[in-house]
Amino acid sequence: MKALGIDIGSLTTKVVILDNDNIVTSVITLSSDEAELSARAAMEQALSQAELTDSNNFYIVSTGMGGKSVPFSQQQKAITTCLGRGIHYFFPSVRTAIDMGAESSTVIRANERGRIVDWANHDKCAAGTGVFLQQMAKLLQMPLEEMSRLSFQAKSRADISGTCAVFAESEVISHVHRDPPTPKDEIIAGIYFSIVSRIMTLCKRIGTEKDVAVAGGVALNNGLVHALEEEIGFRVLVPDTPQIVTALGAALIARENIEKGAK
Amino acid sequence: MTTANQEKNKIDAIIRACRLLSRMSQARPDARKSEVLYYQMLSKYYTRLLNAKEEGNFIAAHTVFFPTEILYAMDIVPMHTEATTWMISLFTGECADILSAGAELGLASEICTPHRGLAGAYAIGTLPHPDVMLWSNMVCDNTAKSGEMLMEINHCPGFFIDRPFQQSDEEERYLVGELKDMINFLEEQSGRKMNWSRLEEIVARMDKQIELTREICELRKAVPTPFHPQGFLELVSTDYLLPGQPEAIEYLETLRQELTEMVKTGKGAVSHERFRLMTLFLPPMYLMGFLEKLSQEYGAVSVTEPFFTYWGEGKLDPAKPLESVAKKSYMIPEMRMYGPLDERALGSIVDCAKQYKVDGAIYYADVGCRHTCATIKLFKDILSKIDVPVLTLDCDVVDPTATSAEEVREKLGQFFELLEDR
Repeated sequence: MKALGIDIGSLTTKVVILDNDNIVTSVITLSSDEAELSARAAMEQALSQAELTDSNNFYIVSTGMGGKSVPFSQQQKAITTCLGRGIHYFFPSVRTAIDMGAESSTVIRANERGRIVDWANHDKCAAGTGVFLQQMAKLLQMPLEEMSRLSFQAKSRADISGTCAVFAESEVISHVHRDPPTPKDEIIAGIYFSIVSRIMTLCKRIGTEKDVAVAGGVALNNGLVHALEEEIGFRVLVPDTPQIVTALGAALIARENIEKGAK
Repeated sequence: MTTANQEKNKIDAIIRACRLLSRMSQARPDARKSEVLYYQMLSKYYTRLLNAKEEGNFIAAHTVFFPTEILYAMDIVPMHTEATTWMISLFTGECADILSAGAELGLASEICTPHRGLAGAYAIGTLPHPDVMLWSNMVCDNTAKSGEMLMEINHCPGFFIDRPFQQSDEEERYLVGELKDMINFLEEQSGRKMNWSRLEEIVARMDKQIELTREICELRKAVPTPFHPQGFLELVSTDYLLPGQPEAIEYLETLRQELTEMVKTGKGAVSHERFRLMTLFLPPMYLMGFLEKLSQEYGAVSVTEPFFTYWGEGKLDPAKPLESVAKKSYMIPEMRMYGPLDERALGSIVDCAKQYKVDGAIYYADVGCRHTCATIKLFKDILSKIDVPVLTLDCDVVDPTATSAEEVREKLGQFFELLEDR
């Protein structure tokens, strides 16, 4: 029996298949309106990619915003639990993990076994999330990669509110239309700082312990990770595919259940 | 314009809900007798308030932690203001109208909702008009200003008790002086005389009430714990509304007896106790039914609430009734969050966690209560030293727009997963 983890996020659905300790395959697909359909589509793609067919031979754990809406999963687990397990797989030394997702940010503290000690999250406002970052990229009319590249050139940063996505957007518009306009690299640095400052409040709330890792799609943004490192005061660890960490954690829990004799 | 019917409707709704719950409890073969008594007790308290004017009684509205024993001894009808807002939320699930009325008075949304709601409720006339308003700085800072505002809204006379923050013999003497002044004020306003022998009886019963609560809390240390998951609210309401009243003693004695039997037979409040919890501050009242079901589903039960049910040391002396009332204000469990946060107070939280074998603690962070929210980190840090995880759940005690049931389910689910995974 193989272990399969599904993480259904608001923007993307991730699937990881494990055979013992090895990642057989992983996929990232766009989420649809219905969590179950998203999970099925992503799972089929993963099975096809791994040249596997018999879904009965899987123990499935689902997680994420739509994790509870997957009727064919044997178990549903919280994002925090899966994040702890997943990050421990990549970096056993990590005691603090920051998940920067599309619509929420979560910070966990984990022990030496990847079990959660404490966590905190922002889920009331899109400020500081992937969706917010995408919105800002649209507003500045440049791809996320370009934003990241430009941020390294900034000599100073514009003041951008970190408390509300809507207000932050108005502030960015105001910077763009100033005479003379605020340089884009400074606006980007300001946007990154507003996101990082929100994450730092979560880190302070639960206490940051080394090593620190970053997961979630936003972790692919080098400029933002750099801004985070500057605030936190040391380098953070980023897995090669940070988007799959939570799905991997779900798969690892599925594997634990198989080892305990689950069928 | 306020009409007589409008004036009664919130209180009437509480009474009808209590009577219905009492009848439903009586009809259930497995119901606790104490549960029936509890609802009857609340119903009686609010019926007395509802009929006070018609029966020619004098109503004194008072803020939280007020020495209500004095009012009972003077045969004055008390109306606990904050608890009444909770009851409106708990039994009717609807506070939007009174909170909205509070906003119309210009009260910012960051102000404590029980106080905001109260102001609104009085402004639109959904609570009986008090003859006097009594308030104090005991022990929440917000109350000191809120009481004054409520007095102005009600266009009635009022009295403020200045209670010293620290405790010493001198400070207790000062508080006794304040209580004497308040009695003079009440005698003047109501035309009623203080009945000192009645106050002595009430203080004697209050002492017994504290002792019974201590015994009940002792029984709750059993594994599995016998009292139902959110049952502590019954103890809090009894203490707040009916200090030293015969019906409070009857309820507590019955409850003690029931819990003793359950402990003897090893019967727990939930079918499979998995998580023993410490509750810090008050859960959202409008979610109490939901929380009760969730607790049963997860096998999670609140075994101790150091801020509400864990009385400090000391005994009341009926021979010195006023001194005892003053002393009681320093013995109340709430002193652990509102009093000096010294080593003794913090140490008692740790002792509590150990004695009750708690697996985790839930801090219901009422967004409007800046006083208690400021202490979260302190309590969280001290509990983490003994490996007790604390969930901070941002919510509001009466306003459903602050946190939805689904959000609470999500966060509690995550927390229980954390506890299970350890």
